[in-house]
Amino acid sequence: MGEEAIVRTMGLGKSFGSTVALRDVDLTIGRGEVFGYLGPNGAGKTTTLRLLLGMLRPTTGRASVLGVDAWRDAVAVHRRVGYLPGEPALYGKLSGRQRVAYFGHLRGAANDRRALSLADRLDLDLDRPAHELSKGNRQKLAVVLALMSGPELLVLDEPTSGLDPIVQQEFYALLREQTDTGGSVLLSSHVLGEVQRVADRIGVVRSGRLIAVERMADLREKSLHHVGARFADDVNAAEFAAVPGVRDLAVTGRVMTCSAPQAALDGLLKRITRHPVVDLDCAEAELEETFLAYYGTGEHHAA
Amino acid sequence: MLHNVATKTLFDQRRTLLAWTISLALLVGMYVAIWPSIRDQPAMTDFLNSMPPAIRSMFAMSGADMSTPIGYVKIEMLSLMAPLLVLLYAVSTGAAAVAGEEDRHTLDLLLANPVSRSRVVLDKLLAMTVGIVLLAGATAVALMVISPLADMSLPTGPIVAAMVHLALLGLVFGTLATAVGAATGNLTAARAVPAVTAVIAYVVNGLGPQISWLAPAQKFSPFYQYTGHDPLLNGLSVPAVLIALATVAVLAGIAVAGFRRRDVAA
Repeated sequence: MGEEAIVRTMGLGKSFGSTVALRDVDLTIGRGEVFGYLGPNGAGKTTTLRLLLGMLRPTTGRASVLGVDAWRDAVAVHRRVGYLPGEPALYGKLSGRQRVAYFGHLRGAANDRRALSLADRLDLDLDRPAHELSKGNRQKLAVVLALMSGPELLVLDEPTSGLDPIVQQEFYALLREQTDTGGSVLLSSHVLGEVQRVADRIGVVRSGRLIAVERMADLREKSLHHVGARFADDVNAAEFAAVPGVRDLAVTGRVMTCSAPQAALDGLLKRITRHPVVDLDCAEAELEETFLAYYGTGEHHAA
Repeated sequence: MLHNVATKTLFDQRRTLLAWTISLALLVGMYVAIWPSIRDQPAMTDFLNSMPPAIRSMFAMSGADMSTPIGYVKIEMLSLMAPLLVLLYAVSTGAAAVAGEEDRHTLDLLLANPVSRSRVVLDKLLAMTVGIVLLAGATAVALMVISPLADMSLPTGPIVAAMVHLALLGLVFGTLATAVGAATGNLTAARAVPAVTAVIAYVVNGLGPQISWLAPAQKFSPFYQYTGHDPLLNGLSVPAVLIALATVAVLAGIAVAGFRRRDVAA
């Protein structure tokens, strides 16, 4: 991606005291790309985003955003980046309008037309003080603040938390507009479902390590199918287990169920048709389930 | 008002500052109102003179004399009450500047704007300075406007000088609170360190003349710069002003440097 890299980290790591929060992350995000940053809570997502914004100083490696060092040139980064924290804390007594005016001045953009139109699209009342707003409305205000200066890169930490489904639709539309105009987006989430519709690529972070980066299209190809077959005779589990990629295999008497990625379906079906089939069922699983199957953290994972 | 961090901070404090100003004016009014009854009781001065020297120098400053308006203002207001109130405002405002915003998690979004950390600290210090000057100025105005009502004649120049030194005293400890908060992000420390330091500095200044081994330390106490030269009698002390300003400059430098190099909590 060369000069087009909007975000580039090299060996980026962060420790807090003796706790290693992030280690050795190499990540590149290109122009016009939406990157979904996924992982369970506490995996290091927020640490990564705050390193990119120069709030934290890297312990190892470095991060550059829009061509400049994220720690040393934080002000230059902030001029061109919109940031939505995971739990945005607003000044309780300021109304949305006052808040927009304040940050507008700090960002050197006295014009609040874009903020007003964003608030209108998200159905947000800018005249009420922040402490009177519901969690969802505070989140909307934080979204307005992140987007109002038309930044080249949006860094969004769990952006849809607290937003109702209709507002989420509008939010995704805003993200599409961002990329249509050449902007990039980095958004974190602990569930794939939130980012699968907008992300071009996803990165999976767990226990402070970036363990996988995949194109969404590739992940879809790996998408699991639930296969169930009922036979006229008893069958043997070992026969189906031999097909590469098959998982969650269960055979009870004449019934076989399993999960298989697209690539394994052909081999699986050929084994099935060696027997007289009474009934066959094949359905594509939710992408979330595919994702968990490859990168899952266990059954306590919030889905 | 919401054009930069300094004016926004003052905008946030507008009601607080109004309340402080009114309280200080009422306090001055109260002291002035009881002046006639104190003046007519020479026993008060005898009482002061009978106090052990250590106690007297702690709470009544040098040359305590309750029978004159200047002596009365010095003992009743400038020795304890006025510095206590100004320090209360300065330390709480200084601690709130960085550590307070961090504690309420609002610092994250503020710093995500293209505003340098140095600028945030300096703007907050500027806002605090304006607030302190406002409080000291309001006290000076109240003294000058209200005291004639009880036939207290107070000279304008020395009152203004005393208030300048009072403001500088507040600024020193307020900047210390800002520096501790900016360098550590710890709100409790940002309040406690200046509070404890102020108590020690107060005692060192008060007892310095009485306790020989404390005497060399006295001149380092900001309270010595504040009243050591007796501003109500002698007016402004340029060396004391310069020492206070130098202290503030060093502490402000520590605040900026400390804030620039550390992680900011989410």
